[in-house]
Amino acid sequence: MKKIIALALALVMVLGLAACSVEKTEAPAPTAAPAATEAPKAEAPAATEAAAAPVEISLWTFPVGKWGEEATVNGWIEAFQAEYPHITVKVEYLDYQAGDDKLNTAIEGGQAPDLIFEGPERLIAQYAARGLLLDLTDLKETAGGKGLYPSIVNTCSIDGKMYAFPISQMAHCMVINRDIFEKADALKYLNEETGTWNSVDDYFNAIQAVYDSGHKDVMTIYCGGQGGDQGTRHMISCPAGNTPWSNPEHTQYTFATQANADILARFYAQDGVSFDPAIVAGDEINLFVQGVLAMGNCWNATLYNNNKDAINFNVLPMAFPTDEAAPALAGGFYCLGVFDNKDAARAEAAKTFIEWMTSDDAIYTEAVLAAGQWPTRDLGVDLYAGDEVMSQYGKFAPWFGDYYQITKGWAEFRTEMWNALQRIAKTDGSSAAILAELEAAQTAANAAASAQ
Amino acid sequence: MSNKRVVLNTKNHKLMIHETATSYLFMLPFMIFFVGFVLYPMFMCVYTSFFDATMGREDIFVGFANYVQLSKDPVFWKGLWNTLIIVLVSVPVTCAFSLWVASAISKMPVAATSAFRCIFYLPVVTGSVAVTVVWKWMFNNYYGIFNYLGNNLGLFDERINWLGDERFALGCIIMILLTTSVGQPIVLYVSALDNVDKSLVEAAEVDGATQMQAFWKIKWPQMMPTTLYILVITTINSFQCFALIQLLTSGGPNNSTMTIMYYIYYNAFKLYKYGYGNAMGVILAIIIAILSAVQFKLGQEK
Repeated sequence: MKKIIALALALVMVLGLAACSVEKTEAPAPTAAPAATEAPKAEAPAATEAAAAPVEISLWTFPVGKWGEEATVNGWIEAFQAEYPHITVKVEYLDYQAGDDKLNTAIEGGQAPDLIFEGPERLIAQYAARGLLLDLTDLKETAGGKGLYPSIVNTCSIDGKMYAFPISQMAHCMVINRDIFEKADALKYLNEETGTWNSVDDYFNAIQAVYDSGHKDVMTIYCGGQGGDQGTRHMISCPAGNTPWSNPEHTQYTFATQANADILARFYAQDGVSFDPAIVAGDEINLFVQGVLAMGNCWNATLYNNNKDAINFNVLPMAFPTDEAAPALAGGFYCLGVFDNKDAARAEAAKTFIEWMTSDDAIYTEAVLAAGQWPTRDLGVDLYAGDEVMSQYGKFAPWFGDYYQITKGWAEFRTEMWNALQRIAKTDGSSAAILAELEAAQTAANAAASAQ
Repeated sequence: MSNKRVVLNTKNHKLMIHETATSYLFMLPFMIFFVGFVLYPMFMCVYTSFFDATMGREDIFVGFANYVQLSKDPVFWKGLWNTLIIVLVSVPVTCAFSLWVASAISKMPVAATSAFRCIFYLPVVTGSVAVTVVWKWMFNNYYGIFNYLGNNLGLFDERINWLGDERFALGCIIMILLTTSVGQPIVLYVSALDNVDKSLVEAAEVDGATQMQAFWKIKWPQMMPTTLYILVITTINSFQCFALIQLLTSGGPNNSTMTIMYYIYYNAFKLYKYGYGNAMGVILAIIIAILSAVQFKLGQEK
């Protein structure tokens, strides 16, 4: 009997975890095209308020600036509920460590939130592509939707239908410790005014100068996981000549190029640069903030605001280096999406919330400022006028490159990429060896893209 | 006479049915929990392993395709190999170290024994995330205490990227696992040593047995059930090493710390390959079941 109990215990402990991921039988029918479900159109506020029955919706938000703070979000909720007393909004605050798992588990358990605040790489590439989000195209006709920048709307759309409403945007950039660069006489290799490098060669000259000045840990190519990997991607593609990561249709990956391999070989051989499989972007940011690293590849305005109290040196946000006319930077967009929970009343309430938040310029401005970013439509005013620091970050906005993060097989691509960097660290550093690793990663990523 | 027996039998039968029904009623809440949260997930795990299951679409029956794919997946084999290394190192070391510590502290005054039990049990009751974060600091390539001590004591000149170097990463994981695994076995061994029949030990000593002989011939056989339990539990825990991997290395560098549990998680929750992940879960469960059976068999023979 004891044997049976012990064996059952062993089986239970193992199978328990694996089975947590068991598909629900309520999964939507196979969808050749993404989310065929049409969401009910958001009614005019007055009509909704007058006739509607009480409805409760949930909003899950990742910690994008103050969108992760109760004080800020509760203020909006109170204001919204004052205007729409029949709608109750319950907020759940996610973090980037466990947020994905929590969200995916909820989706699988049929408990997806109604509203989700995140970027298109998750909302579009993961959820909308699987038919889990509602079509929000009709919101383009609302007061908040009419002026949306078309390029940003495109990143939130599949086959012309908009599945996520863009709220805020910013450019991901890199950053340097200005004090260390000044001490190393390396500021001559860059243009502080424009936040650009004189050339790719000067970028490497600057790294060498800092290294020679005695600061040995200039930069690290973090590859312990996928978090913040836009930094390492653009660290490669910009100096390689703004090489594209996918084809224009976003159906296949195209990063296994000689140019990318050559630039990685250059990093490999560069003093002061190390491939570090033990850290991820969050660790790199901490090391930069602590003054250990002289440069950081994962940076943006929000990160600056989150860390400014801990920084005791002058930081200089920089575009990634390129010899092209302008660098192709990664855009960071944050959107509200609505999960298709097969409940028309909740869907309508969720859309009402989006319309409420985006149609009134004052409320919308608050939402954008809370994210520490910039609007996704022309508000006719500079939100950061007089703010020297934020203006520094604002100048990168014209340099958004293609938003390839919506390419199919995105999760697999990210895995392949950081694993490829780990493998590259173990090569002899030759372009040929590096290209072989990039090709292996690209083949695997494209196989996943084709299968999705 | 005959009628009376029938009446008595009927009464006994009714009483038996009543008692049985009552027993099952008492068991019902647990049985519901057991069926709903244990048996059903187990069944679904096996069932789903035969499907191409992912998020947002109906499952597609693929037969044994997931298992065939597993057999060709180098990362799975790497994960299995790493898992076996973790088990083969951590289980004997945990058992031996726990027994050694328990033997040492069980002879101390009660207060000292309790104090040591608390100290060794602390990592068990401390949250695994907190423990892991502290270890991550200590192993840090840039400012970790191990590099600091190593450099200042002249043990090595260059910094070692403990968690970023394939040569050291798995060893670091095993070391952390050991610190969090020994607490419970020590407590159990101390308790088992206390329960050893002292009259037998004294009799053996009177007959001229050495301390070593008294331990192996008298104490050790009496502690065998505890040892068996510790072996099984430690083996299962080692097979299921997950949090450390997730928080420290994500299976890297170059899959050198990839374990089956982390690979299951990665496939199921990051890549949404639910069927594939469940197939791995089934394989792991079978391996653990076989090993546990072998351990019980060997334990009983002893």
